[in-house]
Amino acid sequence: MTVLDQTHSRRRFLQLTGAVGATAALGGVLQACNVIGGGGAATTGTFNWMTWSDHWIQSQLDKIATDTKISTAIQELAGNAEGYAKLKEVKGQLDKMSGDAMWVPNAYAKDGLIEPFDINELKVSTQLYSFAREFPYWQSSEGYMAYPFGWSPIMIYYDPAKVSGGPTDWQVLLDPKYKGRVVVENQPEEIVAYMARAAGFDKPYDLTDDQLTTVKGYLEKLKPNILKFAQQATDSVAAMVSGEAWLITGNLGNEDRVKDGGGPEIKGYVPSEGTVGWHDGEMIVKEGANKALIKPFLEQSQQAELIAENFLANGRPLFNEKAYKLLTDQGKQDQADRYLYSKAPDVLPTMVLKGPGTSTDKSIQLFNEVFGGG
Amino acid sequence: MTAEVVTGVEAAPVAVVSRGRSARLRELAPFIPAALLLGILFFLPLGVMFIFSLWTTNANLDIVPVWNLDNYAQFFNSSAYVRTLGKTVIMGAAVTAICLVIAVAVAYFLARYISRRWARLALLVIIVPFWSSYLLRVYSWQAILGEKGALNQLLVGLGLIAEPSRLFVYNDIGTFIVLTYVYMPFAILVLYASLERFDYTQLTAAQDLGASPSRAFRYILLPQIRPGLITAAIFVFIPILGEFLTPSMVGGASGLLIANLIQTFFKNALVPQGAALGFLIVAFVTVLLVVFRKYLRVEDVYARG
Repeated sequence: MTVLDQTHSRRRFLQLTGAVGATAALGGVLQACNVIGGGGAATTGTFNWMTWSDHWIQSQLDKIATDTKISTAIQELAGNAEGYAKLKEVKGQLDKMSGDAMWVPNAYAKDGLIEPFDINELKVSTQLYSFAREFPYWQSSEGYMAYPFGWSPIMIYYDPAKVSGGPTDWQVLLDPKYKGRVVVENQPEEIVAYMARAAGFDKPYDLTDDQLTTVKGYLEKLKPNILKFAQQATDSVAAMVSGEAWLITGNLGNEDRVKDGGGPEIKGYVPSEGTVGWHDGEMIVKEGANKALIKPFLEQSQQAELIAENFLANGRPLFNEKAYKLLTDQGKQDQADRYLYSKAPDVLPTMVLKGPGTSTDKSIQLFNEVFGGG
Repeated sequence: MTAEVVTGVEAAPVAVVSRGRSARLRELAPFIPAALLLGILFFLPLGVMFIFSLWTTNANLDIVPVWNLDNYAQFFNSSAYVRTLGKTVIMGAAVTAICLVIAVAVAYFLARYISRRWARLALLVIIVPFWSSYLLRVYSWQAILGEKGALNQLLVGLGLIAEPSRLFVYNDIGTFIVLTYVYMPFAILVLYASLERFDYTQLTAAQDLGASPSRAFRYILLPQIRPGLITAAIFVFIPILGEFLTPSMVGGASGLLIANLIQTFFKNALVPQGAALGFLIVAFVTVLLVVFRKYLRVEDVYARG
């Protein structure tokens, strides 16, 4: 290669890399302009939504997009803490956020990240059970903090062919007979909370040092019984279907999921010591560039027909009363009642609702201490 | 231009220096994008992570700029972290060792006994699994190694075991098997590149001079592919220190490695604590690389094959 060739190649290389860099930069600028440009009160467009996978059904989103020109860009929400931390970082890059009951007032609202609204302004809200429009902890002087969606207690499910005695409490998870037969979801703080409930503590997210010491003993008994930590709810169901797991924890509705998957008839119960549970909702992000799209979207996406379909797809109760009536009309009342659809006022007060706790750091340290190191 | 107003004897060195600098700048120019990327996407986040690791989290899960070393102290104060790091290192070393042994055998066979065309086809087959998602591959291992999995069905079908075994998965054995599978191709590719360039007549010459095949292998071949062995070891061992997906999916409750403990902090928005633990791993890897560097010069990989 001659010196001339070498110079030419380098120049070409620089031209090419320069062109690629300029294109990338221009793309970034255009994208930024698009985001900024979306900040007006337009009622069509795309908004960014961080949520759990059971909050939406693609075919429903497609239909809404066709009918209203409102599209969604969804980011998977792994957990409350992670979602909360993410929103604090990106703020206006998200427009809508899903969150569990006590996270809404004690984290999102407290930090001014969300925009409360008058829920009665939304016509679709008349389809909700009235109590769902009046959760005291979601009330503020500026309005209601979130639009209620679904709920469930955390239950224990077991295969009666393998687990004898008809258990009713958390203690069954610690029974050495079930070594390597328990599957719990990979949520360290929740696992600590379950064992805190097993130990009889009423505030499993606000544990004292003495209580944590007690809980450690429970976790150490639980550890040999755990087959694996499920990455998502479907992993627990799959383990039950395959027969590898005899006991799992999870939301309402796992009996049907296991049966539908070809697994055994299983039974579920709310542990007698009390349980933790959740109800969740949809929040409008205060700095969301496309937040004007959220209310029109809620008007569409929360309609009873869509919520009933969501119930049948995901199998846990929701707060839309009209959807319950619709399910009844469709001959699905038995299923809805088994999932306590209309029993929220009775069951919700018995659950410790998920929320940010004062012992999060120590709970995680405890989990790592027990489960780390083999 | 400065060079034009300076005359006489002094002008020449200035012009040379000036030309030297601009030539040097032109030479460096192609590396600027990579340097910027590395700086912005690697060193800057690393710096931010280090700063976070020295801060703390309040009850509201906000990162609070209160400087302290508590997050580092927790690592040394709790034996669980040290034990888990130790276990991770042992797991990494074991997987690296088995990968190197198998990879040397495979690469040697490909480089020496079959044509280059077929060898390349074989290498393609080896890397084909990389065309699918890592997550899917690990999920498929659950199906293979599980109690009702293919391996158990085979062993029961062959009459080798009476009933399905739970030994293969949701423990350290499962993690070991899957990590070996995941990282083996890296080792094979690196070692094939070394062995392909080796002059095998040297082995024949050594045996002509009286060396046994194993002695020729140890004293002639292995020293010459040492850079390849070290590179393969680095490619396998260091990523394993950061592995969290495989142990969380096939390791069960007792199979967690150090990255899983780091993940629990980040999942719960305890960023400073996770950052400190992460930074300790970075420091550990850096020390390892410095140690390895004594035995490896990058140019060796190319010069010696």
